[in-house]
Amino acid sequence: MTTTRFHAPERLDEAIRLLAADDEARPLAGGQTLVAMLNADLLSPSQIISLHRIAALKGIEKRSDGSVRIGAMTTHAGLARSDVLRDGHRLLAQAAGRIGHEAIRNRGTIGGAVAHGDPSADYPPALVALDAVIEAVGPKGKREIPASDFFQGFLTTALGQGEIVAAIILPPSLNQARTHYEKFARVEGDFATVSVAVALWRGGVRIALGGVGPVPVRSAEAEAELQAGQLSDAAINDAGALLVAASDPLDDVRGSADYRRRLIPRLVKRAIRAAQAKDAR
Amino acid sequence: MNAPGAPIGLSLPRREAGEKATGAALYAGDMVMAGMLHGAIVQSPHAHARILGYDITEAMALPGVRAVVTGDDIEFRYMGLVVKDETAIAKAKVRYIGEPVAAVAAIDVETARRAAQLIEVRYQPLPAVTTIEEALRDGAPLLHEDFAKYTKIYDAPVGRGNLLAHSIATQGDPAKGFAMADAVVEETYAIAAQYHAYMEPCAALAAFDPSGKVTVWSSTQSIFRTQANLHECLGLPMTKIRCIAPRVGGGFGGKSEATIEPIAVLLAKKARAPVRLVLSRNQDMTAMRSRHPGWIRLKTGATREGRLVARECELWFDGGAYADDSPAVMNFALYFVRGPYDIPNVHCEGHAVYTNRMRAGAFRGFGNPQMTFASESQMDALAKKLGMDPIEFRIKNALPKGARWFGGQAVTESTLVEALETARDRAGWIKPLAPAPLGKRRGRGVAAMAHSSAFLSTGAIVRLQNDGTIAVQVGAVDIGQGSDTALAQMAASAFQLPVEQINLATPDTDSAPYNSGTNASRVTFMVGKAVGEAAFKVRDQIIEHAAAMLGVTRDEVSLAPGGRVVVTGGSRRNAEVSFADVAARSIWAVGGPVTGSSAVMASHAMDKSHTKMSGWLSFEAVGIYTFGAQVVEVEIDEVTGAVEIMRAVCVHDVGRAINPGATVGQIEGGFAQGLGYGLFEDMVFEDGRLANPSFMDYKIPSALEVPKKIECVLIEKPEASHPFGARGIGEPPLVGAAAAIANAVANAIGKSITRLPLTPERVLRAMLEE
Amino acid sequence: MSERVAVEFKVNGATHRVSVPATRTLMAVLRDDLGLTGTKNGCEQGVCGSCTVLVDGAPARACLALAATLPGVEIVTVEGLAQGDTLSPVQQAFLDAGAIQCGFCMPGMIIQATALLTENKRPSDDDIRHSISGNLCRCSGYAKVIEAISLAASRLAP
Repeated sequence: MTTTRFHAPERLDEAIRLLAADDEARPLAGGQTLVAMLNADLLSPSQIISLHRIAALKGIEKRSDGSVRIGAMTTHAGLARSDVLRDGHRLLAQAAGRIGHEAIRNRGTIGGAVAHGDPSADYPPALVALDAVIEAVGPKGKREIPASDFFQGFLTTALGQGEIVAAIILPPSLNQARTHYEKFARVEGDFATVSVAVALWRGGVRIALGGVGPVPVRSAEAEAELQAGQLSDAAINDAGALLVAASDPLDDVRGSADYRRRLIPRLVKRAIRAAQAKDAR
Repeated sequence: MNAPGAPIGLSLPRREAGEKATGAALYAGDMVMAGMLHGAIVQSPHAHARILGYDITEAMALPGVRAVVTGDDIEFRYMGLVVKDETAIAKAKVRYIGEPVAAVAAIDVETARRAAQLIEVRYQPLPAVTTIEEALRDGAPLLHEDFAKYTKIYDAPVGRGNLLAHSIATQGDPAKGFAMADAVVEETYAIAAQYHAYMEPCAALAAFDPSGKVTVWSSTQSIFRTQANLHECLGLPMTKIRCIAPRVGGGFGGKSEATIEPIAVLLAKKARAPVRLVLSRNQDMTAMRSRHPGWIRLKTGATREGRLVARECELWFDGGAYADDSPAVMNFALYFVRGPYDIPNVHCEGHAVYTNRMRAGAFRGFGNPQMTFASESQMDALAKKLGMDPIEFRIKNALPKGARWFGGQAVTESTLVEALETARDRAGWIKPLAPAPLGKRRGRGVAAMAHSSAFLSTGAIVRLQNDGTIAVQVGAVDIGQGSDTALAQMAASAFQLPVEQINLATPDTDSAPYNSGTNASRVTFMVGKAVGEAAFKVRDQIIEHAAAMLGVTRDEVSLAPGGRVVVTGGSRRNAEVSFADVAARSIWAVGGPVTGSSAVMASHAMDKSHTKMSGWLSFEAVGIYTFGAQVVEVEIDEVTGAVEIMRAVCVHDVGRAINPGATVGQIEGGFAQGLGYGLFEDMVFEDGRLANPSFMDYKIPSALEVPKKIECVLIEKPEASHPFGARGIGEPPLVGAAAAIANAVANAIGKSITRLPLTPERVLRAMLEE
Repeated sequence: MSERVAVEFKVNGATHRVSVPATRTLMAVLRDDLGLTGTKNGCEQGVCGSCTVLVDGAPARACLALAATLPGVEIVTVEGLAQGDTLSPVQQAFLDAGAIQCGFCMPGMIIQATALLTENKRPSDDDIRHSISGNLCRCSGYAKVIEAISLAASRLAP
């Protein structure tokens, strides 16, 4: 008979030590996914290591270089209403505000959501479009992983044994971009059928798609096409086709693969036009 | 009809609203008893398999486990409404993924769930048939080898494989009818399985008393159907089964027959302790019921003047692994094959089929929403072909008073034209819609419908209590729709008492007279009628006592508000006695307690010379119809195909609204449930396995999906056969909703979609194919 | 089976000290340990909203909060809204607007509405629709629920 033990360490290194020593142990952040999985009998961890007391994982701060460091235990609600996130970085706040419903956003955290690695969730494409960096801490110390490398497959991330997400860092550069998060879901609060995170700036375009592959989908060719074509309708159409080619959507209850492919260019266009409509910087 | 007085027509708050608002209301899953154990179920992972045996040693060894129940604990005893084909828990075979196959009782829920995971069931998988087509294939594996031996209350197609029910009905001469037609439309409509999604998952608490009698508190729509099912599948005499309904968190048809009560009783018996069994949402979605999916081929002909002349229909319903209400639902769908129209020549053929999928059963509308989707879609297609306005076309063919229903019953009242005209005016139908914003398309659609209110039987007992208040005993369960309040209002009206002076007993098979169930839009109509009849008997006795006490004749007294009987003329004018005085006389001196009872039965002859039928489950116990019309405006996103309902106008004939607020609540809620059915609700089964068994994956409408305002218009033309003029309104608001939405979408995109639900994907595809 | 953790928190103003298994949710503690069955279990996945309670004033799903992570918090459940026999303004408005049908979603809905009106004294219908969009109701079609919350708002901030 397994017994689930519970720890709520105050220190990050203590949490890491506990997690590294036991591969059946699970870190608990806001619990909005983990507890749902426990309730559904999908998990029976040997230990639950709750991160809620660790001060080092809290808070959003703007650093002197203009980057923003978001503690992993920051809730979606906290992120959505944070005034530290400004201008281009609002993309992340926009995505945070589209997760589930108010009660979920009040407790769910960015660290937990990112570590879960669900490609239909709202953060992954937003973080990839913002060229964010995931600060991971594990038994071997701290490392920074670009968001585009962090998501490795369906519910699979670059996190190693005993490693957790400690913070998300938004680089300063894209703060100057015009950004937009476009989400299409069956109903409000659902996971995305297709979502598009877009960042436009003088000299560049970054687009990441959610819900259309095992990880957020990008296409360098598509971005180059958009850049070269100055975001014209024709360029968007070509870029849409390239993004479709780069995608690998599944058939599921949120839409068929075919439908998702059809949506990609349509929503990319909508997202770009919405981003353009925002104040140019 | 007796003229109703106050408080009929008042929007009084529900009697139990206060306890529901404070959290004090007790639902079955909230109840506790001393020594109570908690149950958990084990579900089949196979769509079809033989059960070879069970290993329960590990589960029983878990500390805190008190009992495990499997098919070995029961005999081959069957329950069911129209086919007795279900055992209390799977025995010998499992027939769908999710079927309860074993159960545990333990000291807490965690232990019970853990023990359930430790039960090992050995299966020999069998070939499964998970679609209608597979089930009907030559040599298809049989779900029920003993179908021929089962008790059935209809003319069942024995020896025809997995075919569960087959009905044919013909009126007039369809061939001749089609020969007269100038325009004919034929189309096949596909229909998805909708989940009831009552907010309270199924729950039951069973406790045996020392005499061996079991009391079951459960989330049910019918204490008497629960009792009957328990009797049938467990072999207990009804003297040993008492069923009680506490507060019930919605039903919508899904709790009309037994749910998990038999398992709770088996556990309580074996564990020798009270057991509470509450399903998780996932279990409820995979083990219980859905609306019938299937398809309907419909062909309709009309003259160029716009007169409907002929219709032909072929209907196939997937009934799932057990018959449940399937034959009845299928026949009820056929019953409304003409919709609310006067079509002189009709031929229809319906089938229900066993498949290795969770059973389909009763669900708000009982087959009529499926048929109405097909029929109303086709009406629009025909109107378009004829170049007629859809509402004009419907009015032209509306079933008038004095005509006959399909099956031959007389149409005693028809408000269809009024409903359509009201909807047309209210919605501003003749004015074009405001132009759609860039990237959107707008459309408007209508659907008309008819539905029944009277169904099966019921009784009521009304008693005068010592203090002059009134006790009402009925077997009807208020599942949230507000019938307790409406029944109290009707009783209060009969006695000219405030509603506070009416007691409504908790539904309990030990004390209530029989009632078939809270379904079929029947409680306000049928049970209200029974309460009225019993109340009038009590009222007569009160008057008789009072006259004797006052020394006058019956004609010289009359009831006065507040529980008094007053002399209205002569020398003793204004002398009075109270109900309490009458009660005292009756129980201490003369006559005995003042009590009235009633028994009512819906009975409406079918006419086989009007409609020829075979295999038909007779609908003699159906009658009293209501009409309605709904107009819906939609806006469609050209980028995604998503449909937003901008406006809904729902016009319904309610006879007399006993409680207008509650009546409107039924219409708003029914429309919203129909909106989900029309736009996105779809239980997706892949090889018999539900692909979306949670609210995460199966979506029902939230406050953001319903239109900002659902405009309800009540037509109040009191029903002559009801003491307070009421007609049922539980189901009608859902019946036409999906059709009205589909017609609005077709109007917006110039193309009709014949498959429910109208997902953005289907709408976008239709738009792109133009 | 889980190791037990001692937790102390306030529920509706009263301090409770419970010893819970690591995996026990706040919903289970409220319903089974404290007998506060007003908080309803509708899905166990945080989607239906029937178990919504206030944790330190903010709406949260009781089914997705492990009790062990809540030491020192203040919880308000539907049972904590009325003052004696006097319903809270939100509860009273739900009665007066006829918003309550089967009632199963109502504890969560009323808690959510209470939280909304604490933050936003004058919510528009759209504010209300967004706020309650995570509280599913299968009976009402939401129209009377929205009406009830508007009514409560108008009574609270006339």
